[in-house]
Amino acid sequence: MKILIAEDDNLSRKMLEKTLCQAGYEVTAVENGDLAMSELDKDEPPRLVLLDWVMPGRDGLSVCREVRQRSERAYTYVILLSSKESKAEIVEGLESGADDYLTKPFDVEELKARVRAGERILDLEDRLVEARESMRFRATHDLLTSLWNRGVILELVSREIQRSFRENACTVVMMCDIDHFKRVNDEHGHAAGDEVLREVARRLQHSVRSYDMVGRYGGEEFLVVLNRCEPASALARADNLRSVICGKPMRARGKSVSVTVSIGLALSSDYQNADADEIIRKADAALYAAKEAGRNRVRMARPQGEMHKPVEKAVALEGLGS
Amino acid sequence: MGVEQNRSLGVSTMNPQRNSASRANWDIKELLERVDDDREFLCELLLIFRRDSETNLQKAKAALRDKDLPGLVRAAHTLKGMLRNLSMNRAAEIAYALETSAREENCAQTESCLAQLELALAELLPEVEAQLAEVRA
Repeated sequence: MKILIAEDDNLSRKMLEKTLCQAGYEVTAVENGDLAMSELDKDEPPRLVLLDWVMPGRDGLSVCREVRQRSERAYTYVILLSSKESKAEIVEGLESGADDYLTKPFDVEELKARVRAGERILDLEDRLVEARESMRFRATHDLLTSLWNRGVILELVSREIQRSFRENACTVVMMCDIDHFKRVNDEHGHAAGDEVLREVARRLQHSVRSYDMVGRYGGEEFLVVLNRCEPASALARADNLRSVICGKPMRARGKSVSVTVSIGLALSSDYQNADADEIIRKADAALYAAKEAGRNRVRMARPQGEMHKPVEKAVALEGLGS
Repeated sequence: MGVEQNRSLGVSTMNPQRNSASRANWDIKELLERVDDDREFLCELLLIFRRDSETNLQKAKAALRDKDLPGLVRAAHTLKGMLRNLSMNRAAEIAYALETSAREENCAQTESCLAQLELALAELLPEVEAQLAEVRA
């Protein structure tokens, strides 16, 4: 564990440094509060800090207050060092956010014990943060595929569509459905079906840009959202996803399984001021049309009565997919 | 408390027959325990002490001359910490009395404490040198 020592007295600093190094800690020792702050501003800063109260420039108390104001960072455990007469100040020190204090001259065993106590608290904090992150992940992701779950992807679609209206850009909403997924389950078992779902998710996720979004909409249905997308390239990008899935068989439970998807897409720029639900419905209807047309193909929703009619390019793409 | 202590310390400092008492004022046994009997490290600390105690004493004297009491408090505080770390207990108590009297802006007391501290440090130096020689031998 990394420990920072901020102490202006060279002798005391040396003794603290030596003791903690010998105890196996990774120690950085600085001589004033300003240097302490710059150490704490670095990436992966020390989690435990020994701060001398009286230092030139920023004193221990100011450093402590500043550390506590930065709530976005991982918890820093602060031990204030003060001389034995300043017990009254200890209250002030603890009030300003210090976790513990140590009076100088320190006793080696006491110092090590207090540092270990700090380590226990930090360890507890790490475990709590981990648990919270895991809960947050579970609340927002689909557990099987690790994609965004339905609730989150719907929220994201809505936000992206609103933004594209504001910015006069285009958001592409794609509904992708695995063709004959029931057959995969029936022929290879549910475990293989799960592996196929995971692999489809992985391929979709890897085939879009880092700022595009992929979510699991339902059983074997995925929602892909491409933001700031050129309307002219939407079909080609959808077809790229289609071919990424059918291009290579998947391994599931040691067997090779060929899987295809049908994709229906809708462009926000074709439906000015429509809400997300409506655009998703359009994409869903286009998906239905793709299924009707024989599966493993892409259909784009067209506004004003032209719905699902394959545009010229789509006809060409359809040929690729059959 | 600081004043009382200081007065008694003042008397002992003036006592000419205090050669052996001086050794008692530096608890080397306690210090060696603190550094886990690491003589090399002790040597390192004493070298820091030799340099920093002089620097801080000069700072304290300059602060007194310039009537810079906060500066004097800081120098005395540092000296106190250093002396306590090295178990130089009597000198540490004088440094503490100096810090307190400077903080209380008691000029007469401050002046007397500083003189005593200078003397106490001067008495410690030969012992420090002796320790250094012993470790190096």
